[in-house]
Amino acid sequence: MNEKDLENDKIEHLLRRAHIPEPSPLLKERITTEARKEWNQTSVEMSWQIPLMRLVASAAAAVFIISIANFSSNHTLKKWRPGDVRATREQLPDLETLPEMPYHPFVRHLVSVNRRPSMTDASSLRNYAERVRRILKETQQNGASNEQVPDGGRSRLLPIQLSPDSYS
Amino acid sequence: MDENQPDNMLRAALRRNSPAAVELMWDRYANDLLTFLQAILCSRHDAEDVLQTVFVRIARKRHRLARARCLDAYVYRIARNEASRLISSRKREHIAKVRTESWLMVTENNQELSDLVEQLQVALAHLPQQQREVIVLKIYRQKTFLEISGLLGLSQNTVASRYRYGMEKLRNLLGNLT
Repeated sequence: MNEKDLENDKIEHLLRRAHIPEPSPLLKERITTEARKEWNQTSVEMSWQIPLMRLVASAAAAVFIISIANFSSNHTLKKWRPGDVRATREQLPDLETLPEMPYHPFVRHLVSVNRRPSMTDASSLRNYAERVRRILKETQQNGASNEQVPDGGRSRLLPIQLSPDSYS
Repeated sequence: MDENQPDNMLRAALRRNSPAAVELMWDRYANDLLTFLQAILCSRHDAEDVLQTVFVRIARKRHRLARARCLDAYVYRIARNEASRLISSRKREHIAKVRTESWLMVTENNQELSDLVEQLQVALAHLPQQQREVIVLKIYRQKTFLEISGLLGLSQNTVASRYRYGMEKLRNLLGNLT
């Protein structure tokens, strides 16, 4: 035993000269009465009811959140409803305003940035189609004016077949 | 098995929703809890009030107690929370109470002993709450470190070191008495 232990023993001895009294019968009566009163007032909650109540509360919260989201979505979509679709279709060259983009301007910008590669393809395709259509038109017009041409109606786009063996 | 018997009886009473559980809880916890609360609050009256709050709270949330993994730790945690709530709600008042209200008692009617106990009380009040809890439970409820660790949900080493540091501080505070 070192010096510290001896000193601790002395302090413990000093502390033990005092004591902490036990609760009085009066206190017991008061507290148990209050506790019993509370016991009787509180409804009996069976253990299985608690998870069930939590489940119901979670489901209610989920339904509420989904309703709010639906409402918000509907509210946002109102301005993108069918009335505008025709006008939008007519402005096809401006792909920034596609009808399926009912988002905030910033989101729309992001989407259009993502669509840019396909947009480039579409415009070049359209240009190409336009060019072909123009050529066909010219060809038709030429055909109408040169109806007497023996091999009439041949497109400029197609090579003139000089003989049946040409494609062999 | 014998060790768990009171636990099982109390749990069974709680599950049956029998008000007899209040009596069982009183027999099992009242003495130790009152001492524990006095160690935290350094006031007998406050400790009695908080003890009542603890019992009422347990009665209200009895289904939780029945499902608690460790009854003792659960009950002591409620007691500590309630005591902390009282301390924070009456912080200024609490400081005055430490000096005026006596919670340690003497058995004999001896002035010298009364003075000694007064000094012990002041010294204990100057200890950190966690150290005071351990010292009071060990000295006045004759609990072992193992039992205290179970009650407070701490490791045995933590309890032992809190006791050691607490005794060291008491030794410094009561230097002239030893």
